Amino acid sequence: MNLDFQQFIPSLPYILKGIGVTLQIVSMAGILGFVLGIILSFFKISKFKFLGWIADAYTSVFRGTPLVLQLMLIYYGSPQLIGYKIDPSTAAVLSFGLNSAAYISEIIRAGILAVDKGQSEAAMALGVPYRPAMMDIILPQAMKNILPALMNEFITLTKESAIVTVIGVTDVMRRAYIVGGEKFSYFEPILIAGLIYYIMVMVLTVLGKGIERRMRRSD
Amino acid sequence: MIKVENLHKHFGKLEVLKGISTNIQDGEVVAVIGPSGSGKSTFLRCINLLELPTDGRIMINGQDITDKSTNIMKVRQNVGMVFQHFHLFPHKTALQNLTYAPMKVKGLSKSEAEKTGLELLEKVGLSAKAHEYPNRLSGGQKQRVAIARALAMQPEVMLFDEPTSALDPEMVKEVLDVMKNLAHTGMTMAIVTHEMGFAREVADRVLFLDGGVLVEDSSPEEFFSNPKSERARDFLQKMI
Ligand SMILES: Nc1ncnc2c1ncn2[C@@H]1O[C@H](COP(=O)(O)OP(=O)(O)OP(=O)(O)O)[C@@H](O)[C@H]1O
Ligand SMILES: [Mg+2]
Repeated sequence: MNLDFQQFIPSLPYILKGIGVTLQIVSMAGILGFVLGIILSFFKISKFKFLGWIADAYTSVFRGTPLVLQLMLIYYGSPQLIGYKIDPSTAAVLSFGLNSAAYISEIIRAGILAVDKGQSEAAMALGVPYRPAMMDIILPQAMKNILPALMNEFITLTKESAIVTVIGVTDVMRRAYIVGGEKFSYFEPILIAGLIYYIMVMVLTVLGKGIERRMRRSD
Repeated sequence: MIKVENLHKHFGKLEVLKGISTNIQDGEVVAVIGPSGSGKSTFLRCINLLELPTDGRIMINGQDITDKSTNIMKVRQNVGMVFQHFHLFPHKTALQNLTYAPMKVKGLSKSEAEKTGLELLEKVGLSAKAHEYPNRLSGGQKQRVAIARALAMQPEVMLFDEPTSALDPEMVKEVLDVMKNLAHTGMTMAIVTHEMGFAREVADRVLFLDGGVLVEDSSPEEFFSNPKSERARDFLQKMI
C-alpha cells in the first residue's frame, strides 16, 4: 500500500474549512430538531388524542424512510413545494432538523414519562397550573435524565451529515472528495476526512460527558 | 369549614368511596384511620381535587368545590397537601421548594417569598438547611420541608397522607412534633395516619373508614376505648 499524504498538505486548509460548514449545519439542525422535538413530545403526551396521532404519524414517517431520501426530497422537491429552489445547506438543515425532531421527540417523551408522578401531583397540590409545572418542575428533571441520549443523537447527526455531499454542500466529506478528484487519488483525502469526523465525534463525546458530570453534581 | 355530602368515587367499575358524609370544623384536627385499601387516600385527594368525585358534594367555606364552574387551581392553593413520599422538587433547594409556588402562583416577589420561606423553615427547625438540595436531607427533614412548602401557600386547610409512614422510626417524632405545633396554631387538618398514639393525643375526631364506608365518626376517647363497630374493634386489635 503506498500512501502519499505529502501532496495533500496544500489542500489541508481547504478540507479543514469544511468543519465549519459541517458544524453550522449540524448545530442549526440540532436546534431545529430540539425545539420541534419538544413540541412533538408535548403532542404525544397531550390529552388531545388528535395531536398525539399527528406526532406519531410524523415520527413514523421520518423514522421509516432513509435520511438521504428526505434530504433529496426537500432539496429537489422545493421548486414544486414552495415555488423556488432552496440552497443546499438550507435543505440540509431542514431535513436533518425535521428528521432528528422525530427521534428527539421520542427521547423527550420517554424522559417526561419517567419523571415520578408525585412531582406533578406535588405541583398540582400547590395550585400550580399544568404549563408552569411542566416547564419548571417536570422538564428540567426529564432533561437531566435524557441528556446522554440527546448527546448521542447529536453525535449521530454529526456523522450522518456527511450525506449532504449528494446535494453538493461543500462540507468536510465533499471537500475531501473534490481534492481527491483533482489529484486522481481518493484514498488519502477520504482517510483525512475520516480522521476529522472521528476527532469531532470524540470532542463532542468528551463535552457531553463533562456536561453530564456537571449536572449530576447538583443532585 | 369543610362539608362532605354523600361523596362517591369510582375508578372505572370499582367503587372506592360509597357515600361519605361528614363535616370538619375550622381549626379541627381529624384523624382518618382504616385498613389498607379502605379509601383513605382517595377521600383526602378528593378534598383538594387531585381526584374528582364521581358524585356528591364537597363544600369548603360555603363554596361547592365539586361544581363545574369552580377554579380547581384556586381550591388547591387554599388546601395544602403533604404526601407519604414528600415529593420535594429535587432540582430546587429547600428554600426554593418553598418559594416556587408562592412566586409562580400568587405573584409574590422573590424577597417576599424568601422572607416567609425562611420564617417557615425556622418554624420547622430547618433554617440551617435552607440552601441544601433535598437529597442532602434526611427523611424527617424532607418531610418537614414538605410541610413548610405546603404552608408557604398559606392554606386554610392541610391534608396529610401518611406523613410518617416512609420514615425511619427515629425520625417520626420530629415530624409529628411539627404537626402538633401546627395543630395548636388552629390549622384545620385532616390526617391519614397509622400512628394511633398521635391520633389519640392530637386529633379532635377520628374517622374510621372501611371498604369505602365511613364506619365511625367519633371522638378519640370514644373510638379508642369503646369502638362501636366490630370492624373498628378488629382493626384496633391488629394495630396494637
Ligand atoms: N388511580 C386509581 N385507579 C384505580 N384504582 C385506584 C386508584 N387509586 C386508588 N385505587 C383503588 O382504590 C382503593 C382505595 O385506595 P386508597 O389509596 O384510597 O386506599 P387507602 O385507604 O389509602 O390504602 P393505603 O392504606 O394502602 O394507603 C384501592 O383498592 C385502590 O387499589
Ligand atoms: Mg393511602
